Amino acid sequence: MTTDDLLSILLDTLLPGDEALWPAAGQHGLAQKTRDMAALAPGGLEALETVLKALPSTLPDESRDIREQTLREIEAAEPDAFDKVVTAAYNAYYTDPDIRDVIATLTGYENRPPQPRGYDLPAFDESLLDQVKARGPIWRPVPDE
Amino acid sequence: MNGTADIVIVGGGAGGLAFAWAVAGPEVKVVLLERGEAVDQRRSPSLEPDWELALQTTFNANPNLRAGSSDHPVDDRDTPIKPAYYNALGGSTIRWGAHFPRFRPSDFRTRSLDGVGQDWPLSYGELEPWYDINDRMMGVAGLAGDPANPPRAPRPCPPLPLCPATEQLAEGFEKLGWHWWPSDAAILTEGRDGRAACNNCGPCGLGCPRHARASADIAYADAARAKGVDVRTRTTVTGIDFNSDGTRVQALTYLDSDGKVGRLNCENVIIAGNGLGTARLLLAEPRYRHELLGRGLMLHPTAIVTGFFRKQYKSYRGAFAASLISQEFYETDTPRGFKRGFQMQALRGQGPLTTAQGGYGTRLPWGGDHTTAFEESFGRTISLTVTCDDLPEDENRIEIDPARKDRWDMPVPKMIYRLGENTKAMRRFGIERASEALSAAGAWKIAVTKLSRTAGFHLMGTARMGRDDRASLVDRDGRVHGIENLTLADSSVFASAAAVNPTPTLQAIALRAAHAMRIRLGLSGVAAR
Repeated sequence: MTTDDLLSILLDTLLPGDEALWPAAGQHGLAQKTRDMAALAPGGLEALETVLKALPSTLPDESRDIREQTLREIEAAEPDAFDKVVTAAYNAYYTDPDIRDVIATLTGYENRPPQPRGYDLPAFDESLLDQVKARGPIWRPVPDE
Repeated sequence: MNGTADIVIVGGGAGGLAFAWAVAGPEVKVVLLERGEAVDQRRSPSLEPDWELALQTTFNANPNLRAGSSDHPVDDRDTPIKPAYYNALGGSTIRWGAHFPRFRPSDFRTRSLDGVGQDWPLSYGELEPWYDINDRMMGVAGLAGDPANPPRAPRPCPPLPLCPATEQLAEGFEKLGWHWWPSDAAILTEGRDGRAACNNCGPCGLGCPRHARASADIAYADAARAKGVDVRTRTTVTGIDFNSDGTRVQALTYLDSDGKVGRLNCENVIIAGNGLGTARLLLAEPRYRHELLGRGLMLHPTAIVTGFFRKQYKSYRGAFAASLISQEFYETDTPRGFKRGFQMQALRGQGPLTTAQGGYGTRLPWGGDHTTAFEESFGRTISLTVTCDDLPEDENRIEIDPARKDRWDMPVPKMIYRLGENTKAMRRFGIERASEALSAAGAWKIAVTKLSRTAGFHLMGTARMGRDDRASLVDRDGRVHGIENLTLADSSVFASAAAVNPTPTLQAIALRAAHAMRIRLGLSGVAAR
């Protein structure tokens, strides 16, 4: 088993997806991208190596529940390193165009950068403030003003 | 390399650029030195597919994590609230949300009114005309008539829109009979001067390619250059040379963009490096000493309360930090168990990645529950900050570590801060009220971040203003007591923190200080030109 295979199992445990639209991160081929994302943070690659080294060789043969329990134990033992790995995994997953397509399908999200198109919103309706205005001033006058 | 100038300004952020524009004129040679680079916001990461990653890297608010070419380290081990500022022309307004509230009159009189903190030697009324000038320069959207504040001039632009989620939140405030009002924001809702109107994209903190969101560079840098100011970026001031008795600054030393040492002889020096940078520069200078220098650091401890809604609101649409505020609990009401008060400010939802990483709160869980948690959160949340007034306490401070130097050979600053008991009581009360408001708006779940550890944006009060030269460092014009030609023009001079963002107030102070300097120099005043 290669290191990337092990990383894929780690990713599938962190982000297992579901049986409908969400793919599991490892099966979706995000191992290398996760490495790239880990490199963005100071100490990120070292953290990834720390977590990978902590994974038992039997992990691929374990059930999903056991894999998850194993990772929780590593998280407790190496919280800083594990935190960086989760950050990298989420970065890889949520910048993947296919994952963004899933989000678009589920929520109506516009799978595009915020700019240059932005979003349309209706202008502010001042009548919403009628009751606030009716209640009158609440600021505190100062004697020497 | 040696040079001379009549007026040298250290720091090209919100205060420094405002001061530069206001003090400039054909009669004076003005030089502004900024350690950071100019940022081309027309090429904002918000135009790129991976835009959210920039919030963790090049636009990370924490200089220790961003670690850019202009950033120096900050020792933040002794503060639960980590530093958040940006080194560039425009300063932290490159990275901000452009929420633009003013202090209230009572914020300038906390000692007289409530027996806490310090009174300012200035009043709201004295600053009001400078607030107004600054609003026009920055380009402010909002709505006059807020009953939680004194009457003010019509806003230059109409308010930013609410969105379906913030309208729902407004309904919650209405049910409770509590104050709310659309935010004043330094964001244009109508185009002008080459700047387009806001198109509600959301992540203002990545810079605005439309220049709708103001930053100090957009609002003031070109205007200052047009009046003759020599703006030098990537120029880091490393020392202040005093005369023999320490009563006058003679020159500044600096490293230029090529790393060469320079010396600038000057008649007047203005430091505008925020509550951390200004204190560091002065603490590093052995010829200047004041027992309060660096002390009284105020940070606006902030809790964030997030409401989850069943409806998919697409709550990431719209300026993330500028929709509506509530100042229902702003003033002192002693039975609450604390002095002064807090503001609640709505924060919109965030993009997919930032939502997963926890946004304003806790990262979504990994494992089998992850997708459910994401679907419950994305586009379905609105948050309220509980932005607490912060009393100036001497033990909260900036120090320097003479043994640890950065790559400019400057001592590394250290933030030392802990929450006071008044703040803790205020925060508890505020979290309860914010939760109440979100529940009234229909939230089915509430999540509380008791203290936003990333929210060290507002670095105030380390060189406070006052009348007594033993109890303060600068006078009402920002002039350092006992040094005839040194002025501070940033949030370091704040005598109180208020419960709102400091930028409009620090810019108003800078404009007023520049006006006072012009009058002292026998020149026409700012407002008269």
